[in-house]
Amino acid sequence: MSGSHAEEMLSAYLEGELDGARKAEVETHLAHCPECASLLEAMRDTRDALGALPELEPSPDLLRRLYAIPDRKRRFQPIRDFLLRPSLQPVFAGTTGLLVFLSFLAFSPGGRSLQKSLNRQVHAGYGRIERLYVKAGSIPEEIGARKESILGSLRSVDILRKDRE
Amino acid sequence: MLVNAYSKKVFNMAYQFSGSRQEAEDLAQEIFLKLYGSLGKYDFGRNFTAWLLTLAKNHLIDEYRRSRWERTKRDDFDDRAIAQAAFDGPERSLAREEDRKAVWKALDGLSPEIRATVILRDIQDLTYEDIAENLGLPLGTVKSRVNRGRLQLARILRPGKGEDQ
Repeated sequence: MSGSHAEEMLSAYLEGELDGARKAEVETHLAHCPECASLLEAMRDTRDALGALPELEPSPDLLRRLYAIPDRKRRFQPIRDFLLRPSLQPVFAGTTGLLVFLSFLAFSPGGRSLQKSLNRQVHAGYGRIERLYVKAGSIPEEIGARKESILGSLRSVDILRKDRE
Repeated sequence: MLVNAYSKKVFNMAYQFSGSRQEAEDLAQEIFLKLYGSLGKYDFGRNFTAWLLTLAKNHLIDEYRRSRWERTKRDDFDDRAIAQAAFDGPERSLAREEDRKAVWKALDGLSPEIRATVILRDIQDLTYEDIAENLGLPLGTVKSRVNRGRLQLARILRPGKGEDQ
C-alpha cells in the first residue's frame, strides 16, 4: 500500500469504519511508515481538539437583542395576520393583475401604442358627445326661428282649428 | 423562555461556523428572528430542540453557501471561554488550550467547502449522512472532504507539536 493510498483511508481508520481486511492493510502500512503514523496521531489530536472546543457565553448585548425580538414580532403580528387572511387573496390577485396591466400600458412599447389608440378612442367619443350637446342646445333656437312657418303649415292643414272647436 | 434555553447553543454554532464573535451575534439574531417567524409551522409531534437546531444549522449552511465567510478571517479563540473550560472537568492530554487555539486558527487555512464539512463533522458531531443531506453533496464527497480537511489540519499542527515534545 502506498502512502497516499493510506492517507485516503486514515479518517475511516480513525473512526473504525474499515472492514477487517482493509484495517489490517492500513495497520501493516502504519507499522512500516513513520510519516503516516505521525500523521494519524496528529489527525487524532486535531479531532480531539475540535471536539473539545468550549462553549462561549453570549454577550449581554446579544441577549438584550434576542429578548427584544418577541416584542417586535408582537407589534407587527396583527397587521401581518390581517394581510395574510385567505379572504384577502383574491383582492391581492386582482390588484396585482391590474398593476401588471397598468405597467404594461405605461412602459411597454406595444402598450404605448395601445395607450395612444385608447386615448384617441376616448377623445373621439368625448368629441362626439360634445357635438351632440351643442346640437341639443341649438334645438330651442331653431324651433323659435321656424315657429311662424311651422304654425302657418299647421293652420293650412286645419289641425289647430279643429282642436279649438 | 426560548432565549434562556437556546441562545448559548445557537450562538456557539454560529461562532464555530463564522469564527467571528461579531458575525456570530448577527447570525444568532437572524436565527432567532427566523425561529419566532416559524413557530407557527412547528409540528408538535417533533422534538423541539432538534427542530430548532436544524433550523439554526440550515440557516448557517445557507449563509455559508452565499460565500459570506470567504471574505472574513477567524478571530482568535475567545480567551475567557478557554479559561472557563478549565472548570469543565479534566482535560484530555492532547486537547490542551494551545491545541484548541491552534486548531481554531488552523481552520482558516482550509477552503470554505472543506472547513464547513470539518466543522459539521468534528465540532457539531453530525453524521456523514446528515452532512451530505444538508450540503446537498454525495456521501463520498463529504467523506473525502472531511479526510482532506483533517489531513490539512494535521499537517498544519504537527510541526508545533514536535517542538513541544
